[in-house]
Amino acid sequence: MKRELVIAVALLGGPVVCQAQSMDDLANLQFHGYATQSFAASNDNNYLSMDTSHGSFQWTEAALNISDQLNDRLRIGMQFHYLNLGQFGADNVSIDWALGDFKINRYAGLRAGKVKIRWGLYNDTQDADPGYMWSLLPESIYGIDLRATNLSQMGAELYGKVPLGKNAGSLLYSGYYGDYYVSPNDGYMESYRETGITFTDRPWGKTPGFDLRWKSPLKGLMVAGSLMLYDEKGTMPSGTLREPLTYWPTYYAQYEAQKFFLSAQYMKLVQYTVIQPSGGPSSSSVVDERAWFAMGGYHVTEKFQVGSYYSHYLVASAGDASNPANYSKDWVASGRYDITSNFYGKLEGHFIDGEAAGFYGIDNPNGLKPQTRLVVAKVGFVF
Amino acid sequence: MKKLLWLFSLWIALFAWSGVAQAQVVLIANPSIKSADVSKGDLRDLFTGASSSFKDGSHGTPVLLKGGSVNDEFLSTYVGKSDSAFRAGWRSLVFAGQASMPKTFDSETALVDYVAHTAGAVGYIGKATPHAGVKVLAVR
Repeated sequence: MKRELVIAVALLGGPVVCQAQSMDDLANLQFHGYATQSFAASNDNNYLSMDTSHGSFQWTEAALNISDQLNDRLRIGMQFHYLNLGQFGADNVSIDWALGDFKINRYAGLRAGKVKIRWGLYNDTQDADPGYMWSLLPESIYGIDLRATNLSQMGAELYGKVPLGKNAGSLLYSGYYGDYYVSPNDGYMESYRETGITFTDRPWGKTPGFDLRWKSPLKGLMVAGSLMLYDEKGTMPSGTLREPLTYWPTYYAQYEAQKFFLSAQYMKLVQYTVIQPSGGPSSSSVVDERAWFAMGGYHVTEKFQVGSYYSHYLVASAGDASNPANYSKDWVASGRYDITSNFYGKLEGHFIDGEAAGFYGIDNPNGLKPQTRLVVAKVGFVF
Repeated sequence: MKKLLWLFSLWIALFAWSGVAQAQVVLIANPSIKSADVSKGDLRDLFTGASSSFKDGSHGTPVLLKGGSVNDEFLSTYVGKSDSAFRAGWRSLVFAGQASMPKTFDSETALVDYVAHTAGAVGYIGKATPHAGVKVLAVR
């Protein structure tokens, strides 16, 4: 947080103070924010570290951002984010992103600071709740309990658009390199704790990667792929944890036309972990995860939209695909109603088979049942 | 049969009316923009935040109407999205730190005034709205 704050102050404070000579210079200053409160209830298992089996209001989020377009080429901004999700988030306010964004030319721009990672359809926008219909994005790929770690990196991103000719569409690209830190209060850290691993400091690593989106000549059709690379180093009370460079590819497509959209995404992750105890022999493990989802939505009216998705997750390296502990299959029906341009409500039903995604021992001490039925209701305010 | 003919005529009339209605939106820009026209693809990219410049290198800043038939027609014809889907897309960009929210105006007159006095601004109005001080961009 300290390092993020230094970047934020340097990015925002310096240019604004130096350039703002009058109120006119602050005319492009913008403030935006949102706040949501959710209620989640399930039949048996507790989900996402909330006490959902008794009905839980333990999911509150808020964000506030400030940005300024200093000139045609340079924009600066930052966003604070608050999350309380069951045992996660820990009532902390974090800096979601804090960056300077410089347009080099028509084809390229450069962002530097704490920058969102563009990976797949939703990684960089998954904590922007007012921007989409779902209460929960597909847990198989965009686990809300894991997003604090995956959202952003501290470094730089080169991005832009290259036209491919009149009948070939265009290519949107993003390439990045930076450091990332495992969030101290999310599902990754809880999973470590549940396997007996604790750290004396936050694990971190390097994360280069890229995203390519082909916007086809057919209006509304996009086909894309991303590759995130990362390694991880962590210091334990008596030893170290290391994850060598890992490749995390994903492929996705989306079609939007007027009132409806269809999209799908697939990802594969093979993750090696090496634990080196002080003065003892090292041990290693590997996890092979596969996940995909397909979704669609329709605007029934300007204010009311409905949609559905199927989300699939499998721990392939576990060997037994019939064991509920190794898979998660989630059928979802969802609706959103925009009461005004500032207030909205969401309602969503989940039919989850399997226990492999979104469940933790911390709030399921008596074990898990193979099926979960969950309903989520959410109200939000945005400006 | 007569009833069928009547319904067919009505459908043709409605189709013709929608064609007339689509011609009622005019794309306007600050005179600082060198281009005299813009492709549909570039226009869509500009108004969805995927791009912020024209083919000739001019910087473009989209400005929006708050709602109404001209707004709906523009989004439907040139962006291919409903108003709520369009604004949700911008919110995603703003909360991801990838763009600033375009300025939005309650009236076409106020939008014309802003475009006329702001370098790079691009907006849309109804054909009947007076638009002195701005240039009209053709859409290819």
